[in-house]
Amino acid sequence: MPVPDQDSLVSVLQHKIGTVGNILPGQLGKATIQIESALNRKVIQILLENDDGACIIALTGLDLGEKIGLMYHIRTKGLVVTVKTEVSKEDPKIATITDIIPGANFHEREAADLLGVVFEGHPNLSRLVLPEDWPKDLYPLRKDAKLEGVSSKLADSQCNTQPEVKMQQSQTDSRLVNIIVGPQHPALLEPEKFSLKVDGETVMDVEPRIGYVHRGVEKAAEQRTYLQDVYLIERICGICNSCHALTFVGAVEKILKTEVPDRARYIRTIILELNRLHSHLLVLGHAGLEIGYETLFQYMWRDREPIMDLTELLTGNRVISSSMTIGGVRRDLKEEDVPKIKTQLAILRKKMDFYQNLYRNERSLKMRTQNVGILSKDDAIKLCVVGPVARASGVLTDVRKDEPYAAYGEIPFKIITRTEGDTFARLIVRLDEIDESINIIEYTLDNMPSGPYRVRVPRIVVAGEAVNRVEAPRGELFHYVKSNGTAYPERVKVRTPTFANIPAFLKTAIGGSIADVPANFVSLDPCFSCTDR
Amino acid sequence: MKSLTMWARLKSPWVLHFNSGACNGCDIEVVALLTPRYDVERFGIKLEPSPRHADVLLTTGVVTRQCAERLKRIYDQMPEPKFVVAIGACACSGGVFKGNYTVLGGVDKVVPVNAYIPGCPPKPEAIIDGVVKLLSSLESSKPEAKTSASA
Amino acid sequence: MIKRVIDFWLFFRVLVFPGFTFILFFTLFCDWVERKIEARMQNRVGPAVAGPAGILQPLADLIKLLSKEEIVPTNAKKRFFRITPVLAFSIMVFAICFLPIDGSSAISSSGFAGDLIFVMALVTIANFLLFVSGWASSNPYGAIGASRVLTQFLGYDIPLFLLALTPAFLAGNLALSVIALSQYKFIPFIILTPWAFVLFIITLQAELEKDPFDIPHAESEVVGGLETEYGGGRLAFLHLTRDVQIVLGAALVVTFFLGGPYGPVFFGFPEFWYSLWFVLKVLGVVVLTEYITCLFARLRIDQVLTANWRILLPLSIVSLALTIAMVTWVYPLVI
Repeated sequence: MPVPDQDSLVSVLQHKIGTVGNILPGQLGKATIQIESALNRKVIQILLENDDGACIIALTGLDLGEKIGLMYHIRTKGLVVTVKTEVSKEDPKIATITDIIPGANFHEREAADLLGVVFEGHPNLSRLVLPEDWPKDLYPLRKDAKLEGVSSKLADSQCNTQPEVKMQQSQTDSRLVNIIVGPQHPALLEPEKFSLKVDGETVMDVEPRIGYVHRGVEKAAEQRTYLQDVYLIERICGICNSCHALTFVGAVEKILKTEVPDRARYIRTIILELNRLHSHLLVLGHAGLEIGYETLFQYMWRDREPIMDLTELLTGNRVISSSMTIGGVRRDLKEEDVPKIKTQLAILRKKMDFYQNLYRNERSLKMRTQNVGILSKDDAIKLCVVGPVARASGVLTDVRKDEPYAAYGEIPFKIITRTEGDTFARLIVRLDEIDESINIIEYTLDNMPSGPYRVRVPRIVVAGEAVNRVEAPRGELFHYVKSNGTAYPERVKVRTPTFANIPAFLKTAIGGSIADVPANFVSLDPCFSCTDR
Repeated sequence: MKSLTMWARLKSPWVLHFNSGACNGCDIEVVALLTPRYDVERFGIKLEPSPRHADVLLTTGVVTRQCAERLKRIYDQMPEPKFVVAIGACACSGGVFKGNYTVLGGVDKVVPVNAYIPGCPPKPEAIIDGVVKLLSSLESSKPEAKTSASA
Repeated sequence: MIKRVIDFWLFFRVLVFPGFTFILFFTLFCDWVERKIEARMQNRVGPAVAGPAGILQPLADLIKLLSKEEIVPTNAKKRFFRITPVLAFSIMVFAICFLPIDGSSAISSSGFAGDLIFVMALVTIANFLLFVSGWASSNPYGAIGASRVLTQFLGYDIPLFLLALTPAFLAGNLALSVIALSQYKFIPFIILTPWAFVLFIITLQAELEKDPFDIPHAESEVVGGLETEYGGGRLAFLHLTRDVQIVLGAALVVTFFLGGPYGPVFFGFPEFWYSLWFVLKVLGVVVLTEYITCLFARLRIDQVLTANWRILLPLSIVSLALTIAMVTWVYPLVI
């Protein structure tokens, strides 16, 4: 992928936007553009004209006292550009950008939910992460929000809602039948609700209701110290916990301008790739379960266990590794563990031959996954999807190559893409990425530098803000951290890959058969604890 | 006849797994129980899809405000005799999320719990140990008694 | 006095052996065999704690379910909800009683000309009652599961019946006991018409709702299917109905193609040997169907319907025509 000339992007921005906004190069990504709130659409339009593959990564809102700050983090040509603007607290109105970038839909809803910003022209500003009976004018992310005891008061006054597990006639079209999937459903490991409107066996519409796992992590992060936050943030999701930890820690290190030792960077790479291995094996096995192929599920999870053992060997715990810390890693890699890791990886590599053969040649599997849930490349870009879902539709996006972190800049590896964009492609991309991950770990072990594995950092972090991105197994993970010179962060914003990918699922499910919904859904590799935080 | 029923109940505990707000760490360890390395089918434990079929409710994660009602409803739908096992630090007491604005706390704020299995997440061996301890505690106590004390 | 002795013998045959008790325990045993095979294919151990090698596991499941609280949902059609599981189970057991198990059927000399059609009709009625049980639970998942059961068994009944006519044609008679006996005198029909055997096994997989045709029980799509709202004793009967249907299907295969219970008698009285051969042959077929189950993924409902109407139905007609052709022209020359 061609790396854009470092200064050309900034000079283009200065040329096109310099008159209406303030360009600050090198801040919050490649550059920060400070503008008035009324110009947000114009600036985003200019960015899209410059690069029609531009996508929105996240929309950070934060309480600045008298105003509410809004930051549009845009990914253009593989780099991050932040558009900063502000609205007043009494009348927080701003124009929507969902018609220019459809993928901004969920982001604006979340800002409306948690901060009370009104996006004029948004098609549907209903609640996203907060429960339906949450008090109307209570916005949790505002500094003056009174949140004590709200939940228990709501829980006590439990209104007896009607049982929703009923075949209702849809209000809009009496032919359609409403089927509600979740919050407790064997297909979903996590509680979320999807209302499928079906006509016979064809899905006509999907309405998701997420937020069942919303635990208020972003607000809680402001009330804990940076080091306590590492333990909180990594428990956003058990499956990609190391990625969350590294993204947060990396952002803080950017604010502190810490130089992380080489050995720590390499050990971090190994832990991240082990994370990717276990996550891909998990979802490939789960895909087998969804399409009724229990034998495949059992085999894959059997072969996943050695990876959990390796994680335990390296970090002390099977799942939540707690190995990342600000300034390095907490435990060193012991020399006697290296041959053990290599042996297990060699065994896994041989087993992957069996799975490659199975996935590519097993007829019943292909019948269920080929040409199911097709996502075209244009849709993938417009909806701003990330990760293997995007790569399976032909979009070349991978943070490890776009903006290398840890040791990825020094390790040779391939990005796997396919062009079909169906469920089968999404699964094969992950299957091939497993082989690449094994290569990366072996290279890292062979070229491990010596030296310290962590450096000491001050407890109180200087004022500043930073963004950081990491390629989690599900896609691009994004954190924004702002510090105010105390031991507690001012604002932590997390944008997880599944949050960006859910609109793609809605698009691919509509028009398909209801029997395809589980396979399609699992190929998305959804992680709702990530989405809801 | 009673001892025959008790024997049958101990040898065939069917479980329902419900996540009421977890980070997935405990969930994947629960699903790992069915896989070849741990294989709880040896004990007759089957993972059931519907609350009506299950004897033991395995809950993971904190109870968020949004899930509280659903958890209670699922518990009510299960036929007697039924037991609840809270898996993980979050389900026991709220874990790292205690005090957050949508978190009610551990599972025992909503349903009575028969066994607590701490850990973050507990290893599958710990979960098996907890379930086996629950079953053997039932053997020594009266079959109809349903306590909320830990096993 | 003599009349009372005859009555006792009838009760024994119907209720104990080879009637109800034998069928029940044999079904539980087949359930254990299936679970063990599935576990071994998946690199696991399977039930191991209840009884030696877990053999008492299905019995423990049954007793546990019978001892649970009975719940009837408010919106359910109560009369149907209560009755259909037991009724479906009884009809399946009744159907097995017509098959020759130890040389003659449970109600001895109850076989009549055309009892093949009668048994197939009983199976259809029992499946229909399963559909009614899903419908009666007033649960959307129950309703979807029930409609899938209906679509599947109604569709696959036709090729099943056509394929069942093949051995009837070879034996020249529609009575099950005659079909089995003629194989003893001559040669098992599997050798004469292997194509019918293969097609029958595939169609049976669909009738029994096993992988790759087990969409009515697809947990990830329809939760519990038609069983969703059932708990306790009624669930036990629904499970038993399904398990007995598997034994019935295997027993039909044995009667049609593998010579029924008839096999070499080494010493002693023939009833013992016939029962033994019956048990072994049925177990063989159960192992075969379970093996196929473990190997494949689940098909979608439209693929299941395509497989039936576009593939199996024409093939079963071709198979029948082929059999008639072979018997009329080819076999008299060879045999």
